[in-house]
This record gives sequence, C-alpha cells and structure tokens, in this order.
Amino acid sequence: MLGQVVISGILSGALYAMVALGLALIFGVMRIINIAHGPLLMLGAYATYFLYSALGINPFLTVPVSMLALFVVGALLERTLVFRVVDAPELSSLLLTFGISIALVNLAQLAFTSDLRSVEYLTGAWLVGPFALSKARLVAFVFAGALTGLAFSFLQWTRLGKAIRATSQSREVAMVCGINVQRIHLFTFGLAAALAAAGGALIAVIVAIQPEMGQIWTFKSFLVIVLGGAGNYPGALLGGILLGLIEQVASLFLTTQLSEVVAYVLLVLVLLVRPAGLLGGRQT
Amino acid sequence: MRHRSAALVALAAVVAALVVYPEFASGYGVRATLQVFMWIVLAGSWNLISGLTGYVSFGHVAFFGAGAYTGAILVAKAGWSWGAAALAGGLAACVLALVIGYPCLRLKGPYFAIAMLGLNEVLRALVSYFEGLTGGGNGLSLPTLDATVPIYYVMGASAALVTLATYVIITSRFGLRLMTIREDEVAAEAMGIDTARHKLYAFLLSAAGPGVAGALTARDQGYIEPISVFPLATTITMIVMVLFGGKGTVWGPVLGAVVLFVAQEVVWARYPYVYPLLFGAIIIVVVLLMPRGVLGLLQIRYRLPRTI
Repeated sequence: MLGQVVISGILSGALYAMVALGLALIFGVMRIINIAHGPLLMLGAYATYFLYSALGINPFLTVPVSMLALFVVGALLERTLVFRVVDAPELSSLLLTFGISIALVNLAQLAFTSDLRSVEYLTGAWLVGPFALSKARLVAFVFAGALTGLAFSFLQWTRLGKAIRATSQSREVAMVCGINVQRIHLFTFGLAAALAAAGGALIAVIVAIQPEMGQIWTFKSFLVIVLGGAGNYPGALLGGILLGLIEQVASLFLTTQLSEVVAYVLLVLVLLVRPAGLLGGRQT
Repeated sequence: MRHRSAALVALAAVVAALVVYPEFASGYGVRATLQVFMWIVLAGSWNLISGLTGYVSFGHVAFFGAGAYTGAILVAKAGWSWGAAALAGGLAACVLALVIGYPCLRLKGPYFAIAMLGLNEVLRALVSYFEGLTGGGNGLSLPTLDATVPIYYVMGASAALVTLATYVIITSRFGLRLMTIREDEVAAEAMGIDTARHKLYAFLLSAAGPGVAGALTARDQGYIEPISVFPLATTITMIVMVLFGGKGTVWGPVLGAVVLFVAQEVVWARYPYVYPLLFGAIIIVVVLLMPRGVLGLLQIRYRLPRTI
C-alpha cells in the first residue's frame, strides 16, 4: 500500500514540478505571481483536446504543439499587458493577472462551453508486481520528467538560459552586462506558459477537463514554489514531488475533499515556520 | 464649506428616502435595494483591507460563507433569532480572519493573496465534509419567515456602518498608518509602525461586515448550500466594484456597488455569458488606465478632498 502511494505521489509530483517551474520562473525573473498560470494550463489542455478529437493526432504528440501555441499566447500577453506592471506595486500585477485569468476562463466558457471533455486514450493500467501503474499517468510522468529536464538543461547551459538566471538574480546587473531584459521577460513569460500548456496537455489525457480547471493549479503551483522556496528553481522539483507524496498519503486516510484541506494547512504552516521554503534562500 | 453642507443635506435626503422606501416600493424594488446594500457591505469591507493596506484578498467571500453558515446553523439548529445570529456570523468571520491572518499577514503581499485564493476552496470542502452540521451538498434549510423588510433595514444599517467606519479610519492616524503600509511597508516599519498588528486589525475589521451580511442573506433566502455561499464570482464582483469606484476611498465602493449592480441587472438579463468576461476586462482596464478608479479620476480633475 505504501509503495503504491509513493509511486502515485511521484507520478503526479513530476507534473506539479513542471507546471510550478513555470510559475517560479515568472516570479524569479519578473517578481510577479501570475494568477493566470492555471488558466493558461487550461488553454493548453483544450489545445490538446481539439487536436486529438478534431484531427485525431496522438495526444502525446500534441504536447509540443500545445506548448508552442501557448508560448505565443504567453508572449502576446506579456507584450500587450503584463510588461506594464513589472515595476508597479504588487497590487497591480496581482490584480492584472487576476483580471486576465477571469477573462481567459470566461472566454473558454464562451468558446468551449462548460461541458466536461476527456481524451480517451491509453486507458487502463499496467500491473508491475504488486503495483498498478495507470498507463496515462506513467507516460505523462515520463513526458513531464523529460520536459523538466530539458528546461533545466536549457537554464543551465544555454546563453539564453544563463541570461534568464542572471536577470532573476539581479535585473540591474544583468542590464549592465548587456542583457536585453525586456526580451528576457517576454521569453520567460512565453516559456512559463509553454510549461503550463505541457502540464495541461498531459492532464487532459489523465482526467476530464473543463474551463474552470485552472484555478486550483495556480494554487497548487504556488504551494509547490512555497515548499521549495520562491525563486529557487531546483526547489520547485523537490516541492512538486513533496506535494504529490503528501496528497497521496493524505488521500489514504482522508476523503479527496479533506486532502485538499491538508495541502492548504500545509501551506499556512510552511509560511509560518519556514517562509523562505524548505530549501531556503534564493538559488538560481 | 458650502459644498460640504450641501453634500450632507443630499446624503441625509438619500438616507431618508431609503428609510421610507419599503413603504412604497414593490417587492422587487426592496429586494434589489437589499442586494445593493449587501454589495456595499462586501465591497466596502474588501476596501478596508485591500484598498487601504494593499494586501489583496482573493478569497473574501470565505467570510461571507462562514457568516452564512454560522447564522444558518444557529437559526435552524439552535433556534436563535436572526438578529443575534447575524452578530454571531460577524464574530465567526472575525475568528476565521484571526486564524488565517495571523500567519499569512506576517508575509509580504503575494503569499497572502494566494493563501486567500485557497481559503475559499478549503472552507467549501470543510462545509461539504461536516454533513451532520451543515447538511453537506444538500444544503441547509431555515424555518420559513418573511423578514425581508427588517433585514432590509439591518443590511442598510450595516452598509452605512461600513461606509462610516471607512470614513473614520481614512481620516484617522490608524488609517494613515495603513496607507503607509500600502505605499511602502519597509518604510512603515522603519517609522515604528507595528505593521503585522495593523494589518491584522484591518483584516479583522474587513471580515466582520461580510460575516454579518452572509448571515443576513442566509436568513433572507431561507436556504444555503456550499455553491451558493462560496462562489469565486462574489469575490470577483466585490473586487471589481471597489476597483471601478476607486480603491482606498470612502465612496468608491458605494459608487462601484450601485453602478455595477444596476449594470449587472440590465446586462445580466440579456447577455448572461458576456458579463463575467466583462468583469475581467474591467479589472484589466482599471489597473492599467485608471488605477485609482472613477472617484480617483474625479479627485484629481476637480481637486476633491482625499476623504470622499
């Protein structure tokens, strides 16, 4: 039983980590908590759903397409709206992204209706020894792990990735070094939206989707970066796996409803005891 | 000074008209005005924490719901009168605000905002879980009682009280300290303001109104369920009302509540799907183009005092 819980926790934890990495990047680079992160994930899920149901493309192959589409959406949002509040007080950026999030959810309701939709692909589970591994979840895990790995190597080794990390350490010094900070903001927002979209695409294969699915993901992603330490990118990995494990363990003893409460109490406790996150400090 | 006394006379006339209104009005008129009062209470209360200290509360409807359930349980299961239950609803909301605010307000803005975003979902889950007390997803029915007109007066008095409290706070040293926190929290601390305590006081004040309004609404509607008292839409509406009218002002929430409620009644009937989308658009436009709302624009253009 415990083994099953650990496996399920790690499977969903990788997804949490990938989606939260997007939120952490925006927070690290632009000092903005993007409330619209979850709704962007929702758009990614719908992109995959329509590519699969209308064109019949393998849903896992749609992941890069969804990511690219949402990269463009994210970049557009940054260039038209978000860049205006980068240096404004927190109140402005929180409210602006909140407004964007409401607009996106309601646009989705208008365009796609509130019906639950699901991608019927790769259902069932593989039995490995005593454990049951949901096929969709396992493949989603592999994708999430690979994409997160790619994102980290990108940040670690490419010039653009280094520029992103430099900007999140100190915008002024990055500018002095000749980094075009505006471009980095644009790219980071697009990249974060793409990571959210990848999450949405993979979630669409696992559970049914609807326009309001996003809100809870903003909250969960935030919980992950609080657990890992805001602005600490590797911390998002640890936070994601931790959240996955905690949720699974909680669901052993409690109903699904109450396991959401556990995540919340955890958030308040971590904020109270270790406001800098479990790993502490900013490390980029 | 002439302007000031003219404004006071006009205000007294509006209040007097609202007092005698139920004698003449149709049932719909009284209900609609009651709704406007409720929105004034909610928007005015949100303004106290978010407009004055700049700490955005994305889950303020949680206090409304907590008040509604406290009031409804006391009326339905313990046989309290609705007046006492409304006070208890306000108190319950304050207790909740203390529990949440104590840890979360010690942190800077975004943490508080997201913690509030989650609070609402959590309360809804808890209410659904404790079925024995709350009726769970089936909801909770209150004994039938036609008290719309007395509730109209109590809700109206609450709206007046919240607006008066906002005026008193904005013109006091306490209010100045809150606004200092909003403008620069580090500077406020350096000046010797106990920021955590001030934020907590403002938060408690902002929770009481929605708690009372929730208990009154529960009594008036006679039936509550988790979906009806914890909708995210309510938080969105109060935020939009305050932003539109002018955050951090006395009359901004009132203006926003009246204008947007009327707009909602007119637009809602025809385009039910477009209207929530419009709210998102209003938030974006207000934040980018007129961060101080309609009243803020008027204050600048006509050199009105800060205390309106």
